[in-house]
Amino acid sequence: MLRSRPFILVLLALVLAGTWWRLQPEPGQLREVRLLLGTTIEIVAEHPDADRLEDAVAAAFDEIQRLEWLMDPQRPDSDVARLSATEKSLKVAPETARVVELGLDVARRSDGAFDLSLGRLKALWGLDGSTPQVPGAQEIAAALQGIGPEALQLEGLEILKSDPGLSIDLGGVAKGFAVDRAVAVLGEHGVTSAAVNAGGDMYLLGSRGKRPWRIGIQHPRKSGAVLTSVEASNLAVVTSGDYERFFEQDGRRYHHLFDPQSGYPADACQSVTVLADSVALADALATALFVLGPERGLELLSAYAGVEALIIAGDGRMHPSSGWKTFVPSDDSGS
Amino acid sequence: MTTGDCLLAVGLLSLALAGLVWCATGPVGERVVVSDGQKVLYTAPLDTFIEVDLEGPLGLTRLRIDEQGARIIGSPCPLKVCMGMGPARRDGDILACLPNQILVEVVGARAEDAPYDLLSR
Repeated sequence: MLRSRPFILVLLALVLAGTWWRLQPEPGQLREVRLLLGTTIEIVAEHPDADRLEDAVAAAFDEIQRLEWLMDPQRPDSDVARLSATEKSLKVAPETARVVELGLDVARRSDGAFDLSLGRLKALWGLDGSTPQVPGAQEIAAALQGIGPEALQLEGLEILKSDPGLSIDLGGVAKGFAVDRAVAVLGEHGVTSAAVNAGGDMYLLGSRGKRPWRIGIQHPRKSGAVLTSVEASNLAVVTSGDYERFFEQDGRRYHHLFDPQSGYPADACQSVTVLADSVALADALATALFVLGPERGLELLSAYAGVEALIIAGDGRMHPSSGWKTFVPSDDSGS
Repeated sequence: MTTGDCLLAVGLLSLALAGLVWCATGPVGERVVVSDGQKVLYTAPLDTFIEVDLEGPLGLTRLRIDEQGARIIGSPCPLKVCMGMGPARRDGDILACLPNQILVEVVGARAEDAPYDLLSR
């Protein structure tokens, strides 16, 4: 027994070591998902110090929550709700002003394809409520009165409305801004590798181990299938598609991306994916390009240095921007 | 070495071999975790065939787990976006019904040869 004891102890140690190794979580990584901003917010972050990592992720979620309180139109005390209720002007938080500034810039450069003043139109269609419906032509025309790139003016922190009845909707850019801020907070806490994903609108900070992050792009007509993929590092990836939110009436599908010219869902595209250095910009541009369609959309994109896009037209054809392919991995098996 | 020693050694050796196989088999033990965004409401192995009703503020969301993965097949929400999300089967895949506050996540070991880390949709 005495002679065999070391052998048995070695075996015992092997069993314990194997069990311990197998049960270890991925070193220095934390993943957390919460329901915020009307979507799922997923943060995956890495840092060798577990306590610091936990603090960083909690602080990033706190920042998103704070911005939601500022810009959620359903909260009566939010900047957006107060701005819609006011008749002339309102002083807002610096973050709200920054979102409006960015949104107005894309609105002007896209000739109104992106619009921050579609609150009345969206409420009329009811896609965020329990009873979506196709409104009458007169109702739509009334909801479009006074909208456009000049409907809002920003002077410092003061936002002026050209029409007292305008209802403001920052949804097309506020979510992206919140992701950008969460990434900044993670960076302030020393995190250099992370992904912040707000329902598919995401920023990829640093790399995934020794390689770039690899992002699958949803196929617009095959649920759960991947159309293609991109490799991303310190990059925003945002996709807008007509399959995200919709309802059907009289055999026809109506989705949530509205053409401000007609007041009806835009039909030039199935989906648009934008790569940019900020999620807020990518968010706004994805909507603008979706409304403009492939030809005018790519023309608008050429004015934005370092921004790339993949536009899937209404007929299903793919229209990549000139630099898109540099982000597609060589072994991509997508169509 | 006594007979008892031999039996103990054989037992431990078997355990060690089983452990080695366990270490090498990759992404096993994937589970479906359902929460309301804060607290866990339900959890089940991904290889279980099951249909379950999950209660949210609007009513019952029906979750099915089968060979295709986990997917929402019934929901009281108005737009049924959650039902159009398709199946979740990879580690990190998420389904959500925001109106009914149901969040479905697949968790488990990640395959290194997975085609993507996150899905933009």
